[in-house]
Order: sequence, then structure tokens, then C-alpha cells
Amino acid sequence: MNSGEKLIAKKCKKCGFIQHKDHIRCLKCKNDTFDMIEAQGGCKLITYTILNVPPLEFRDKPSYALGVVQFENGIKALGQIESQKNLKVGMKLAPVYKKICNNLDGKEINDFVFKSIE
Amino acid sequence: MKKVAIIGVGHTKFGVLENQDLMDLLCDASLEAINDSNTNDENFDSVYVGSMCPETFNHISGVANALVDRIGLLPAAADHIKNGPASGGSAIKAGFQAIASGINSMVLVVGGEKMTHITTPGLVTSAIATITHPKAERSHGASLPSLAGLLTRVYLEKYDAKLDWLSDISIKNHKNGASNPLAHFQRTIESFMESAIKKGKGSWNNIYEFLNDDKTNPIIADPLRLFHICSISDGAAALVLCNAELAKKYCENPVLITGIGQATDTQIVYERDDLTVLNALRESSNQAYKMAKKTPEDIDVAELHDAFEILEAVESEDIGFFKKGEGVRAAHEGLTEIGGKIPINPSGGLKARGHPLGATGVAQVVELFWQIRGEAGKRQVSDVNTGITCNFGGFGNNILSIIVEGM
Ligand SMILES: [Zn+2]
Repeated sequence: MNSGEKLIAKKCKKCGFIQHKDHIRCLKCKNDTFDMIEAQGGCKLITYTILNVPPLEFRDKPSYALGVVQFENGIKALGQIESQKNLKVGMKLAPVYKKICNNLDGKEINDFVFKSIE
Repeated sequence: MKKVAIIGVGHTKFGVLENQDLMDLLCDASLEAINDSNTNDENFDSVYVGSMCPETFNHISGVANALVDRIGLLPAAADHIKNGPASGGSAIKAGFQAIASGINSMVLVVGGEKMTHITTPGLVTSAIATITHPKAERSHGASLPSLAGLLTRVYLEKYDAKLDWLSDISIKNHKNGASNPLAHFQRTIESFMESAIKKGKGSWNNIYEFLNDDKTNPIIADPLRLFHICSISDGAAALVLCNAELAKKYCENPVLITGIGQATDTQIVYERDDLTVLNALRESSNQAYKMAKKTPEDIDVAELHDAFEILEAVESEDIGFFKKGEGVRAAHEGLTEIGGKIPINPSGGLKARGHPLGATGVAQVVELFWQIRGEAGKRQVSDVNTGITCNFGGFGNNILSIIVEGM
């Protein structure tokens, strides 16, 4: 498993706030030193939707489920959920790294999707 | 700081306007406002044009330069202001600052969008989705309707609110829009149901059965259905702003912009501590209230940004009318209807007036102008002196609040 396949986030060394790895300075305290932390264990579904009108570049599927999840160590992420059936806020999910779509430039996009482990 | 007055307004019909392109709409709204303000032969110092996607939707850039040329306002300064669906509000802010600072004394602000000619499925939602975070949201297939669906589910579960109560906001906005001759949809939802019955599409015992039927009101971003989401529209709206000391020279009954605020929030929506709180609105409305020396209790009418009906409810909380978690219930109980405790969106809002992206923030202030002057016809709210708007950019990550008062 190379580093691109780990779900990584930045944890602020000063205030501990966990944020997306794109942030250059902390959203909460402006500090610019972070620990890179990896998502641990399973995650819980915080909220979800089923989108029946995808944007242009996602029209290879007529619809898909999207959810926001939170891991045991606090990392949050948004991603597609493999099944649209039996979704429930609070259910346990696990991340799977795979192709999501081709972007508008034709480039293949790979990232995490989530599957039920209940 | 100089006081800023609105002395004239323009507002095209909103809807599917097949025979007008973006520049036609911007010109029509602008000339209507100039005419309304009696400033026909005056020189304008600056022109600010709010439009979100003219490059993508209309294959034109430089819309502000094109406008001053076409309507004969050379050599006025001209800027194209972009802030997503809040481009109109940001254009007003630019005009307000130009006059308040004393640098300018006469400014034209216009917002507009032309979108309904686009037939490629998913192109409009894709273009708008470019304002979301490219790695954390957009590359996963997130769009604005999906973010609204995620927010709606959290809200309904957390505050024990019902989806039918959210439908009450759509019902109210369509009822108001039916009295707005410039609205995209001048029809109640009851009239949509009656047409569907006449066409033999089904039969329903009441409006909620109609609104919960997948055939007549399909789910777009679960739990949100079609009637919980505004449509795309064409249209433009304009304001003539001037230094308030000069206002009475042109206009018997000017209206003042007394408060304006703008603030931002996280681009990644899930990085907010509470998905149901619009921090950018709390901050921007506080700035506006402070500048105008007003509180939410002083507001007689509001034009909020109901691109999704959940937003009207959440905004009614974060702008200070209701406690967190009570906005959907308040709408269900009728408190936001014309004649209620705090009338919201007498114009019909984005849901019924329509949402030509860049036009919306300007159209909101035009509606308040008419409400304050008692010129809103059948949708007139009684005894209006002060109103506020919320123009929502990004997915709540860039919000403007504008307070308008009688002079
Ligand atoms: Zn920090």
C-alpha cells in the first residue's frame, strides 16, 4: 500500500485540530506545523444523501450515495458509499481505494469510497 | 463614511427568456434602473456587474466593459464582480464602498445570468460545483444539491423536524411568487397539482401527498425533492446608488443601504463544527446589524437565499430571527408568511422568483426597495421600514447581508 492509498489528514501541533491535508495553516489557530495522521479503524456515517442528478463528469452512473464519515481518531471525510441500500446515520463503514470517475480533462480519479461493514 | 442611497431600480422578468442573451438582460435592467432614477443625462463614476459564469454559460468575458459600451456610459469605470451565487451581493458591496468612501458619487450595480439555453445534461450543476473543494468534495461527485441533502438530513434528525415542514417553505414561496409579476413561477403548488390532475397524471388527497409522490416530485438529493430546490433561470436586476446627500435631487422617495456585511467559512463543508450553522451568515449579519445600529427585532421583512428550502430555515436562525433548530418549525407554523411575525421572501424567493445566479443578490435588494416604498402590490408586507437580505455564495462559505431602510 503506497502513501497515496492512505487516508491522511493534518493534525495541528499547537491546537490539535484535524483538517484536510491541503490546508497550509491551521483553520483554528493559524499555526503551520502539523502531524500527518492516518485514519484508524472503522468509521461512522454522520450524514448521507443519494444524488440522482450527478454533475456532467459523473454521469456514467445515474445516481450514487455520498456520505460524510468520521473515523475513531477524529478524521472526517466525504466520499461515495458503495451501496445505496440500508443506509443509516451512525452505521459502520470501511474505506476502499478505487477509481471514482474520469475528470473533465479525461484523467482517471482514484480515491476512497466507503462500504458497509455491518 | 458617506451615506448611500438607492434612487432607482430595474428588474427584468425572471424565467426562460428565449429571445434575450445575457447582454440584453444586463442592458434592460440597467436602463430601467437609470430611467427609474431620473439620472438619464448624468455621468456614472463606476459600474459593477455581478455574474457568476458568463464564460462557461455564454462564452463571453468582459461583461462590464461590454455593458458600459452598449448603454453609453463611457468612460465610467467598469468591473465584473464574481462571488459565485453571491456575485450580485458582492457587486452591491463594491458600489456601496465606492460611494461610502467618497471616491464615487454615482454608481450603477447590475447582476444577471443567462442559463436556461444550456441543454447538456449535468453541465450547469457541474459548472456550479466548481466552487466546491476540488479534492475533498468535487472529485467525489459532490455538487451543491448533494451538500444541501447532507445538511438537510443532519438538520431533520438533530432537531426532530419533518420534511413536510420544509415543503411548507416551498408552498409559502410559491404562494408569494404567484403575486410577483416578475417571478419565474407565478403559480402556487396547488395549481401545479391541479394541472397534474387535469392531465391525468394521478390523484392526490392533499398537497403533501402530491409533494411526496416520486412521479410528480422526484427525489433529487435525498431527502430533498424537486420542489425543495430552486430552478435555473434567466434574468437581471439593477440598482442606481448615489451619495445620499444628492439623492433627493433625483428621487422623492430614496431608500438607504445602512448596513452591509460579508464573511467566509470553511470551503470544505464537513470541516465546520456543526453542519447546521452558517458561521459566515452569523458574522456577516452581525456586521450589518452593527453598521446599521439595528437588531433582528428591528427587521420588518427579509429576502433570504433559499436555493434549497433548508437554507431559508437555517438562515432564518443564523440571521437572528429564530433559535437554532426552530427555523423549519417556525416556517411550518406560518411565522414567515406575509402577515406573520417576520415575513421571509415575499418576492417568492429563489424558489419561485427563480435564481439567475448573479442576479439574485441584486433582485433581493430591489424587492426590499419596493417593500419599503409600499410598491410591492399584492405581496406588500404592511408597515415596512427596514429589511435585510442574505446572499449565499459557495456552499455557505461566502455570505453577504445587506440592511436597507426608508430615508
Ligand atoms: Zn491549530
